[in-house]
Amino acid sequence: MARHDDGVITVGRSRTGTFFANATGIVFGLIMIFPVYWVLNTAFKPDREVRSFTPTFWPHDFTLDNFKSALGEELFIPSMVNGLIITAMAVAAALVVGFLAALAIARFSFYGRKAIILVVLAVQLVPFLALLIPLFLMLQSVNLTNSLVGVALVYLVLLLPYTVWTLRGFISGIPRELDEAAMIDGCTRAQVFWRIILPLTGPGLVATSVYGFIQAWNEFIIINTLNDPKNQNLMAWLLYNQTERGTAWGPLMAGAIITSIPVVVFFLLIQRNIATGLTAGAVKG
Amino acid sequence: MHAVDSRPAPAPAPQATPPKTAKRVRSRSQRDSGVAWLLSLPTLLILIAMLGYPLYRMIVLSFQNMRLRELFSGATPPWAGVDQYTKALTDSVFWGVVGRTAGFTVVSVTLSVLAGLGIALLMRRVTRGVRMFMMIAMMFVWALPQLVAAQAFRWLTDSDFGVLNYVLTQLGLDYSTHSWFVNPWEGWAVITALVVWAGIPFLAISLSAGLTQVPKELLEAATVDGANPWQSLRNITLPILKPLLMIVTTLSVIWNFGLFTQNWALRDGHPEPVYQTLATYSYTQAFGRSIYSYGSAISVITVLLMFGVMVFYIRQMFKIGEVD
Repeated sequence: MARHDDGVITVGRSRTGTFFANATGIVFGLIMIFPVYWVLNTAFKPDREVRSFTPTFWPHDFTLDNFKSALGEELFIPSMVNGLIITAMAVAAALVVGFLAALAIARFSFYGRKAIILVVLAVQLVPFLALLIPLFLMLQSVNLTNSLVGVALVYLVLLLPYTVWTLRGFISGIPRELDEAAMIDGCTRAQVFWRIILPLTGPGLVATSVYGFIQAWNEFIIINTLNDPKNQNLMAWLLYNQTERGTAWGPLMAGAIITSIPVVVFFLLIQRNIATGLTAGAVKG
Repeated sequence: MHAVDSRPAPAPAPQATPPKTAKRVRSRSQRDSGVAWLLSLPTLLILIAMLGYPLYRMIVLSFQNMRLRELFSGATPPWAGVDQYTKALTDSVFWGVVGRTAGFTVVSVTLSVLAGLGIALLMRRVTRGVRMFMMIAMMFVWALPQLVAAQAFRWLTDSDFGVLNYVLTQLGLDYSTHSWFVNPWEGWAVITALVVWAGIPFLAISLSAGLTQVPKELLEAATVDGANPWQSLRNITLPILKPLLMIVTTLSVIWNFGLFTQNWALRDGHPEPVYQTLATYSYTQAFGRSIYSYGSAISVITVLLMFGVMVFYIRQMFKIGEVD
């Protein structure tokens, strides 16, 4: 069969069609990336270039002043550390706890299964900001307001339903025939889990944790409402910074870049694993 | 062709196994039930403590009259019956917020899901290098935090120094010092563009991953049998993709219905009435004006509105057998 090395079938596909598809793809990519480029472009410009009625499409006088003024802020580094701690705690907990529930829903048939699915689906509806007042009162009564653990707990609940639901999808994607074949060959339930389900859910776990990381890292309203200025994350810092500076666009964009770097780096490092479905390979042997 | 060779192997297994007695089947399934509940227990406990209980407190709060004084003194707020609900449901401002939120959700979800599906299909069609470029562009957009993206769009549409006005003016339209948020339709177009732009990577990359689950043998067979690309899409790809499509669409509805960050940031943390959505309206009432109970009542109504959508969705899911 005529195939490219990436497995795309070539039968019935014209060169002109491929040309137009490629052109559309390139235009789409350029439109998508432009706002990101514009943030970078602005951050490396001196103020007089930023505040110009004829914007320059690349920095003529390349400068790092905007970054210096953003990094020089008193609470910048503490906010970054806070954000990393909170995010790591929330994502790790959501992954462990959520995977167990996803496994139950995807692989067991038991009384109450549909009820659990219903709960997991329904709680994603709850507008989380609405729960801020009762959550604040609850956390206050156990001395967890203005603390990183308190915020991590709230983020855990924020991530958990999505984690369970997504992992359930990934586990369901693994053919049951693999489980059954392994059990016929003498594997126990635990061995099926460690040798088949966990390795094959790898890409799913990675994708889910990436998404969880982004959700937790990007949140700023809850932490802003629960914690004092000294216990904020970088995103909330960016919001404060914005209010103080008004429209000092250069430093604002520089601060935004620094805030985005952990997410972008983490994301790009593991992006290869995200869309890779291992299941197709497993069935085909 | 390994698939064909290996498939018959498991088939004889049920015949080879002696028929199980009813007793053995039941004890096996009872043990499974126990294991399954044990696995689900941590999730359920967390959801009950951190979501169920606050939800209950929120409902109670909506029938009270809690203001700043009660928050600080810790005194039980006075009972208010259905006053908060009557206030909301007879207020045309509130209904305006509901209509605006619903309209935005329909438009933005339709646009982003169609775009996401189109891009996912396009990615199967382009050459490797272009696909890589599209992936990289989307990865950067996906990775960009919501607040940063909102700031970027605020800067792009700045009336004095924004590049959008500059480009439009260069194209011969008079957009110099044009303010995009004076006319609410234009302002909402900017917000919608931001939400769709930011939503495409998740949708396109998820759906593109879903497309790899479509058996290539099936598409090859269809092509050999003379099916055109549209027929292959309608009759093979979309039915297989449907469960995933339903999931990502519902998630988009949930996220976009709860719009907060984008209109909040683009309007500098003080959205004008015409830029209020249910989420920002409730938050503003509670934390801006310290009318916690009224904010809670609005939240309860929001949950009820979404619950209708969700019940319909869950029923659909069970009907098509996605949740088996």
